[in-house]
Amino acid sequence: MRYRVLAVVAAAVALSVVVATATASSKKATAHTLTVWLQVDAQNGWPDIVAATNSAFEKAHPGWNVDVQYQQWTTHLQKFDATIAGSDTPDVIEMGNTEMTKYMAAGAFTNLTSSQSQFANSKKWLSGMRAWGTYKGKLFGVPYYAGSRVITYRSDLFKKAGFKKPPKSLNQFQSELVKVGKMKKRVKGFSPLYVGGEDWYTALGFVFDYGGSIATFSHGKWHGTLDSKKSLAGLKRFKAFFKATQSKRTATLDASGLGAGNPFPYDVFKQGRTAANYGPAWYTCCTGKKYTKVTQQFVMPSHVKGKAIPGFLGGSDLAVPAQSSSKSQAIDWIADFTGTASEKALEQKGNIPNATNLLGNSVNERAASRSWFVPQATHWVDVENGNIIKTMLGQLLTGQLSVKQAARAASQNIAQTLNGP
Amino acid sequence: MNRRLSRKVAWDALGLVVFAVMVFPVFWMVSTAFKNEDQINSFNPTWLPLHPTLAHFRTALHRQYFWTDIKNTLIVVLVTVGIAVVLAFLAALALAKYRFTGRNLFIVLMIGIQMLPPIGLIIPLYVLLGRYGEVNKLTGVILVYLTFALPFSVWTLRGFLIGIPKELEEAAMVDGSTRIGAFVRILLPLVAPGLVATSVFAYITAWNEYIFASIILHSNSKQTITLWLTNLLGGGRSIDWGVVMAASSLIAIPVVIFFLLVQRRIAFGLTAGAVKA
Amino acid sequence: MAGRSVPYLLVVPVAAVIGAILGYPMYSLVRLSLQKYDLFALIAHHGTYVGLHNFGSVLHDSIFWHTLLRTVVFTAANVGLTMVLGTLIALLLVRISTWVRLLVTAGLVLVWAMPPVVAVQVWSWMTNSENGVLNYLLAQLHLGNFFQHDWYATPFWQLTMVTTLIVWEALPFVAITLYAALSQVPHELVEAAEIDGARSWRVFKDVTMPVITPVLLILTSLSILWDFGVFTQPFLLIGAGHIVPGNYLMGIYVYEKGYAETNFGLGAAISLLMLVIVAAMSVVYVRRMLRVGEVE
Repeated sequence: MRYRVLAVVAAAVALSVVVATATASSKKATAHTLTVWLQVDAQNGWPDIVAATNSAFEKAHPGWNVDVQYQQWTTHLQKFDATIAGSDTPDVIEMGNTEMTKYMAAGAFTNLTSSQSQFANSKKWLSGMRAWGTYKGKLFGVPYYAGSRVITYRSDLFKKAGFKKPPKSLNQFQSELVKVGKMKKRVKGFSPLYVGGEDWYTALGFVFDYGGSIATFSHGKWHGTLDSKKSLAGLKRFKAFFKATQSKRTATLDASGLGAGNPFPYDVFKQGRTAANYGPAWYTCCTGKKYTKVTQQFVMPSHVKGKAIPGFLGGSDLAVPAQSSSKSQAIDWIADFTGTASEKALEQKGNIPNATNLLGNSVNERAASRSWFVPQATHWVDVENGNIIKTMLGQLLTGQLSVKQAARAASQNIAQTLNGP
Repeated sequence: MNRRLSRKVAWDALGLVVFAVMVFPVFWMVSTAFKNEDQINSFNPTWLPLHPTLAHFRTALHRQYFWTDIKNTLIVVLVTVGIAVVLAFLAALALAKYRFTGRNLFIVLMIGIQMLPPIGLIIPLYVLLGRYGEVNKLTGVILVYLTFALPFSVWTLRGFLIGIPKELEEAAMVDGSTRIGAFVRILLPLVAPGLVATSVFAYITAWNEYIFASIILHSNSKQTITLWLTNLLGGGRSIDWGVVMAASSLIAIPVVIFFLLVQRRIAFGLTAGAVKA
Repeated sequence: MAGRSVPYLLVVPVAAVIGAILGYPMYSLVRLSLQKYDLFALIAHHGTYVGLHNFGSVLHDSIFWHTLLRTVVFTAANVGLTMVLGTLIALLLVRISTWVRLLVTAGLVLVWAMPPVVAVQVWSWMTNSENGVLNYLLAQLHLGNFFQHDWYATPFWQLTMVTTLIVWEALPFVAITLYAALSQVPHELVEAAEIDGARSWRVFKDVTMPVITPVLLILTSLSILWDFGVFTQPFLLIGAGHIVPGNYLMGIYVYEKGYAETNFGLGAAISLLMLVIVAAMSVVYVRRMLRVGEVE
């Protein structure tokens, strides 16, 4: 009785909520927007190239506008999954090269094989990069850019220790690092080379350098091969190299930056606590004002004199989700964005372009002469998410398990994961 | 007397220690925001930057979408708080003043919702919002936050309403020229602390939420400020800690102001609701 | 209009919003839990019915049981620490001078106002092994060799760091609420008891406790609900690159199985199991709510 007025108001509110949701559901997004998901790398590194592509596209397609939505690596796949479930995927999506296989196998992307001629330089794409976006002979992803791994170092320290030219072999590099370390031994906690022990991109470079591999496919099944003779030789060499070139810090194992309280390698560089980092070529961005002038790079040498150690080739593809309703426009946009002008501009920003005829002679590009890539298995992403290789490296570096034991456990785990549930 | 005084001093000293420990991270965030690059990276920390730099604040303020996303967040928060408080008040009224079939069911529902693991609901909720056309819209996020803020709000407000003596209500009814008028003049002041407590809770829920916002809002121009901040962090490349800390400090300001405004009432409000519960 | 419809009309808006937003997802969660629903199914918008298979495989997964046990211990530690420290701070607030109290309250409010995403960043910045201020402070205080100490070296320490973060974030809410409850304890009673020579512990037990017990109960129950399903703090602080079965909490387990491995059916099954476990844990809370919910 007493609150009757309020009750009526309440009922009215409830009704209007229902009506509002009901009417809202009838609306649909406007038809002439091309939605593009790029990673924040583009937003921070080359927004101008994106803008140029968009204006070219909009000029060629009157009535269309491009909505570029920048995503983060940590959440973009979960978001993509949600859009697949909700049938409102973007029209173009940037995928990390190791993320492609799972989605290609599931049929998440449009087959671009017949549109290949539309993409500039597609005949001259780097073969490794073409492989990322190819599944069972069909093309689903257009190579966007790549990055190799190089040594970023303090030229003043190396010079002072008497080394004026980049080392020719791994052994030489190691002894140079040890010498630089001795020179700076008064600096507490100084590491001649600062690299994360659990940085599997580094460690597996050694495995591939010694002819090893992660997993192979035969007789319809995946087999883990990190415990093969050659792989073990690589892992042992990595352990020895790591022990010789790192300070005896307790925090040995990770240098991935975000999370878990470990700094990025270049932050340590910036603090004057290391003479060198091994990582993407863009590390030069962040070595600090104090050392900008003495920051230089070379290709990390192999244990075989005169060769480069195989580096992990990271990179991105552009794909058109199968649910996109503007596929031909999406392809046009990708063609613009990976056209010669764009790719040349990307090269200028320190990336490896997608085609051989566009390659320059930067350290980054030279390092790519020998590279390795992860097994192209549907479940490879799960191996990465499960941090299986990192766990192995932690075990073998801390001595918790012998190299062989750790590698065997990881191998079994990898085979099990790759063969799926 | 002396002993009592020295004991008081000891308690005060302990209070200051608690203050120092609790506030240290906040202090560290703000002070880092004012340091230059060398001071931030140094191994010997600078406690108070003597020559504070505003460069990090400038960078943060001028970064794309900062103001848009602040505006979005304020819209989301204020609308969520407004609707949650009104709707929760109505339901609380029913729970506090009426006996009706289905009452217990409603209470169990309110409690049950707080037990749902939000993570499990991401995809189903996304699909639902997609059907309503609410993906990548602030209204979608508001609807989700409402469902998580309502149960607690209903519960807190109910505690207040139970506390109001029947006689007062009746007096209000007789006394006032109109019922609504009487309600506003007499009852509203009594439940005000409860409304404040409720709005604080809803405010915090909406302001701090990250997971659902990150899934539902795709466009950078439609995101909330926590997402803006994670975009600053997730660039893959160098993290500029000075800017991150400056941005974090800036983001905290509206919440702090809101808190300072309602702080005295929160404490009272929360307990009155809880004790009576 | 009959007076009997009034309570229903008042409840309708809340019920409508919640029903509209959570009704379908709940139904969908249950349906998903009975299906094999992977990336293929997601694209086809169509899963395969597998009965209780998902539940079976979760319950037979030793990782699930380890995770459950770890999460229970983690929750107990977090809730225990939060409640004990929160109560102590509240008791302290009663005893200190007004200006100190204002200062401490302001500090608590500042902490309360910090979004978790920001708090995580500040935490990892302070505990950074190379130049984190925590290692520096501990070294300066001569508490041991903390030079380049890695606070995240083992799962135990990773979760301990997450605990410090969560407790720190939760203390203001608990302390301020309890302080308010304490201020309702009649002063005369406490003083009378003290004059009678009662020990402070007895005073606390016989005079203070009865007043603050209901508040304590509710705060504890809410903390259990929140801490058991916690996701953001461990995920961001430990970092995606370090999440391994050895440091899973239930919230992370759901995420890894359901989303990272795109096995949505399994993720839904785990979510429902979590719901059941939490419900079982909070029976006390629910019963209390129903009992006091009666209209006098």
